Amino acid sequence: MKKKNGLSVLLIILILIWLLVPLAVSLIYSLFSNWTGIIPKGFSLDAYQSVLTDPQFLKALGQTILVCIVPILLTNVIVLLTLFTVTAYFPKLEKYVQIICMIPYTVQGVILSVSILSLYVGGSGFFASRLVMLMGAYCIIILPYTYQGIRNSMRAVNMPMLLDAAQMLGCSRIEAFFKVVVPNIMPGIIVSSLLAVGIIFGDYVLIRNLAGSTVTNVQMYLYQVMKADSRKSSATFILIMLVMFLITAVVLVLRSRSEKGKRN
Amino acid sequence: MSEYIRFEHIIKNFGEKKVLRDIDLSIEKGELVTLLGPSGCGKSTLLRILSGLEDATSGRIFLEGKDITDVAPQNRDIGMVFQHYSLFPNMNVRQNVAFGLKKKRVPKEEIDKTVSEMIEVVGLKDNVDQYPSQLSGGQQQRAALARALVTKPKVLLLDEPLSAIDALLRHSLQVEIRRIQKELNITAVFVTHDQEEAMVMSDRINLMHDGKIEQSARPIDLYTNPQSRFAATFIGHYNVLPAETFANAVSVAGATGISELQNYETVAFRPEIVEISRQERGSVPADSYLLRGRVAMSLPHGNFLRYNISCGNATIDVDTLFNREKLFEDGTEVWLMVPKEECILF
Repeated sequence: MKKKNGLSVLLIILILIWLLVPLAVSLIYSLFSNWTGIIPKGFSLDAYQSVLTDPQFLKALGQTILVCIVPILLTNVIVLLTLFTVTAYFPKLEKYVQIICMIPYTVQGVILSVSILSLYVGGSGFFASRLVMLMGAYCIIILPYTYQGIRNSMRAVNMPMLLDAAQMLGCSRIEAFFKVVVPNIMPGIIVSSLLAVGIIFGDYVLIRNLAGSTVTNVQMYLYQVMKADSRKSSATFILIMLVMFLITAVVLVLRSRSEKGKRN
Repeated sequence: MSEYIRFEHIIKNFGEKKVLRDIDLSIEKGELVTLLGPSGCGKSTLLRILSGLEDATSGRIFLEGKDITDVAPQNRDIGMVFQHYSLFPNMNVRQNVAFGLKKKRVPKEEIDKTVSEMIEVVGLKDNVDQYPSQLSGGQQQRAALARALVTKPKVLLLDEPLSAIDALLRHSLQVEIRRIQKELNITAVFVTHDQEEAMVMSDRINLMHDGKIEQSARPIDLYTNPQSRFAATFIGHYNVLPAETFANAVSVAGATGISELQNYETVAFRPEIVEISRQERGSVPADSYLLRGRVAMSLPHGNFLRYNISCGNATIDVDTLFNREKLFEDGTEVWLMVPKEECILF
C-alpha cells in the first residue's frame, strides 16, 4: 500500500513539474533583462510595466472577458432550459440532444468560422455583426463542455426525483427546477463554465477569422507582441495566466463562501 | 366515516402496456390504506395518479367530493414521501422541512414554530442543522415525513418509504409512521410489496394484481379469508394445493369426507392451523382432514418452526411454536390434522 502511495505521489509531482515548468521558465525569462551567462542578471519588472500600461493590452483583456461572459451565460441558460425540458417532459429525446451537443467536438475552428462567414457576412441585421458572429461561434464551441458538465450534475442529484418532491411541496415544475435543481447542480455549472473560460481565453483562430480587427483578444495581442519583444510576450503570457487563475479563484471562493453560509 | 378519496374507473396505459385496468376504490377520512402487491402490479402508478405526478389514461379522482383529476400536483394539497431519499441535498433538515411552508408564504415565526414541532414529532430534534448526506437512511425518511406533514396536507402518500432501510429500523419506523398518522389523524395511502408491513400498518389493505384490485379488506380478514388463489399465495404463507392432490393425500390417511373437494380446483389453508403429532388419532374427527406424511425438512424461523411435510404428492408447510420438548426430526412419520372450516376452496 505504501509503495502504491509513493508511486502516486511521484506521478503527481512529475505531472506538476510538466505543467509548471513552462510557466516558471516564462516567469523567470520575463523578470531578467540580461541573459548572457548561465545565471540571468538584471532583475526588472519593466516588461510587466510595459504590458500593463499598454492600452492595447487592457483593451484586448476587456474584450476577451466580454466575449467570454456573454457566450458562457447564454450557453448555460440554453443548456439548462433544454435539459430541463427534455428530462421533465421528453426523456426519450435526451439521446438526440446529446448527439447534437457533441457535434461541435468534431468541428474545427477554421471550418466553423468559414461556415459562419459564408452564411452571414455581407448580410444586414443583428447576425451580420462580427461581434455577434463571434459570440455565436463561442456558444457552439463551448456547448459540449457545458452540456456534459450540467448533464452529469443533473444525473448525480437525481433530478426527476427532486422535481417530483418540490412539486409535491407546492412548486410548479419550472419553479422546482430553478429553486431546487439548479442550486444543487451549481458546482457542475461552475466547473464547465471555468472550462469554457479556458477555451475562449485560448482562442486565436475564431476571433482572427470572424472578428478581424473589430475585436481583439489577449491571444491576438500576444501574437502581436511575440513578433516585437520576447520578454514582453513572456510577461503577457504570465499576466494572462494570472487573470485566469484569478477568475478561477474568485469563482471558487465565492462558491465555497455561499456553501459555508448555507451550512452556518 | 365518510368517503374521502374516490377513484372512478381509473385506467392507465403506457403505450401498449395496460398498467391499471378500471380501478374503482374509495378511501375514508383518517384511514391508513395500503396498496399491496408484487412489483409491476400498478400500485405506485395508482399512487402517482392520486398525487398528480402521473396522468390517468381515463377515469376520475375525487378528493373531499371535488374532482381533482385535472388539478396540478402542487395545487392538490397532498404530501408525499418517496421510495428513494428525496431530501434536497443543499438544505439541512430544518430548511427541508420549512420548504413547503415558505412556498405557502407562511409568516417566519409560524414557520419556525411549526417546523420545530414537526421535527420533534419525528424525533429529529438533534439533527436539525444536519444535511441529508450527514443523516442515516432512517433519519432521512423521517425528515422527508416531517417535510410532507408540516404543511398539513389533506392526504399523505407513502411510496414504499421503508424499502431502502434495514430490517430492524424498518420495524421501528413502521410503528412510528402509524403512531404519527393516528396522532395527526391524517388520511394516508401507503404503497408496499411487503405483506407483513401492510399487515402491521394498515386499517385496510387493497391487494393489487396485474393492474386490478384483487381484494380489499381489513388486514385480519384478508389474512384469514383470501378470496382468490393469488390472494392466498401472496398473503401469509398459505398452503395452496390442487384439490385433487390434497384429496389424494387425505385418502392415503384413510379419511372420509373428501367428496366435497371434488367440486373445487384448489384448496388453501394456513400453516399454523395444521395440528401435527407423532401418533395416529384413534378416530378421524368429522370436522378435520387427517393426513399421514413424513418430515422432509424443518426450518427454524426464530420463535416458530416451519416443517415441510411430504404427504403423497403434496408438500404441506406446518408452523409450530418453537418448543424444545416437541421437535420433529427430518424423516419422522407424522400425522396432520387440518380443520375443514379453515380450508378455503376455490
